[in-house]
Amino acid sequence: MTILVLIETVLLAVLTVLVAGLLRAYGTVLRRLHEIDSGTTSGPRQFDLQPTPVRRPVDPEFGPAHDITGETLDGEIVSTRVVGVEHDTLLLFLSSGCVTCETFWAELGMPGAIQLPSGTRLLVVPQSAADESPDDLAEVAPAGVDVVLSSDAWRDYEVPGSPHVVFVDGPSGRIRGEGTGQSLHQVAELLARATGEAGFLTGSSTPKSARDQQQEMSVDRELLAAGILPGDPRLYGSNE
Amino acid sequence: MNRTAVGAPLTTVAAHGLRVDLPQRWEARVYLRDATAGESESINPVVHLGNFALPPRRGDYGSGAVEVMRAAHAFIALVEFGAAELDTPLFAAQGVPRPNVVDFAPNALQRRLPGQLGMQRFFTENGRTFCLYVVLGSARFAAQLVGEVHDVLDHVAVESR
Repeated sequence: MTILVLIETVLLAVLTVLVAGLLRAYGTVLRRLHEIDSGTTSGPRQFDLQPTPVRRPVDPEFGPAHDITGETLDGEIVSTRVVGVEHDTLLLFLSSGCVTCETFWAELGMPGAIQLPSGTRLLVVPQSAADESPDDLAEVAPAGVDVVLSSDAWRDYEVPGSPHVVFVDGPSGRIRGEGTGQSLHQVAELLARATGEAGFLTGSSTPKSARDQQQEMSVDRELLAAGILPGDPRLYGSNE
Repeated sequence: MNRTAVGAPLTTVAAHGLRVDLPQRWEARVYLRDATAGESESINPVVHLGNFALPPRRGDYGSGAVEVMRAAHAFIALVEFGAAELDTPLFAAQGVPRPNVVDFAPNALQRRLPGQLGMQRFFTENGRTFCLYVVLGSARFAAQLVGEVHDVLDHVAVESR
């Protein structure tokens, strides 16, 4: 009889351990499901952190941008997105006849002459064929440059005359800087100063972490604010 | 063509009897094949659509554009063929197709690039023969991109000649 009681006691103990283990596993499953449902977790995060795109605030002085619709010199009908897109856009409003524009057209044709921040699209926007000479434009427009004839765009952006340059922040759909200059290089310097985008002078850079980008842009902004541009001898110190 | 400002999701492109109302982020370019087209090619219109910045130089099936696509990008080419193709078995399907995710595969790409998926269908719409060619930037975003592609194709209108 004593032996039977002992065996039953042992079996009861084993069953108790098994039930406790099952209840514990069930509790773990419920807790994990709860974590997934509520999006909270007490332990380490189970997803990879993605670098956050670094974007500076847009100057409220400038107004909203507009998408560009028009026609290319080859007769292609074009609807390009400038607003609400991931890329920024540099719009060059040029004419075939203006004297200053000749410099811009010539620079556009020089390999490596155009430097743009990473992910920035360049659109050259003369007026439509009714207000421009497509034949003259065809003579000055370099091959491979995206040229969209659009008088609507000139009205939308209230272009005072050519050359005129507008830099648009794609995600916000707002203008980040605009103005004119004597050459593309000069405009690039002005844009770099106005926007803090050194990429207008140095071109796109290789992909970096958001933290590195932020740090570099902060340094770039301070240097540009102090009037120190890429290539400035003060950046390299003295050999003496 | 309607101009678009902030907050206006749609813009319309219409040319050569084709009309597309573009959803947000999507842009379009429509052109006619010129005299440089090969003898077997028609000079009918080609429509290119993308949810990314379409470059100025592109082949009919998107070479030049697909190389700059990222994972969350999609490209659509709508290439019209000649009237001689009408009633041929290749173009027997009627109406603009709506591809499913399972229709896409790397081996359907005209230009095979890592991660990308493609599909191609021939069809007739309003007595005009077309090839629909779609490239997705990645399998990861395929379901979402196919939804976007449907949204674009839902807004394609083809006028009869």
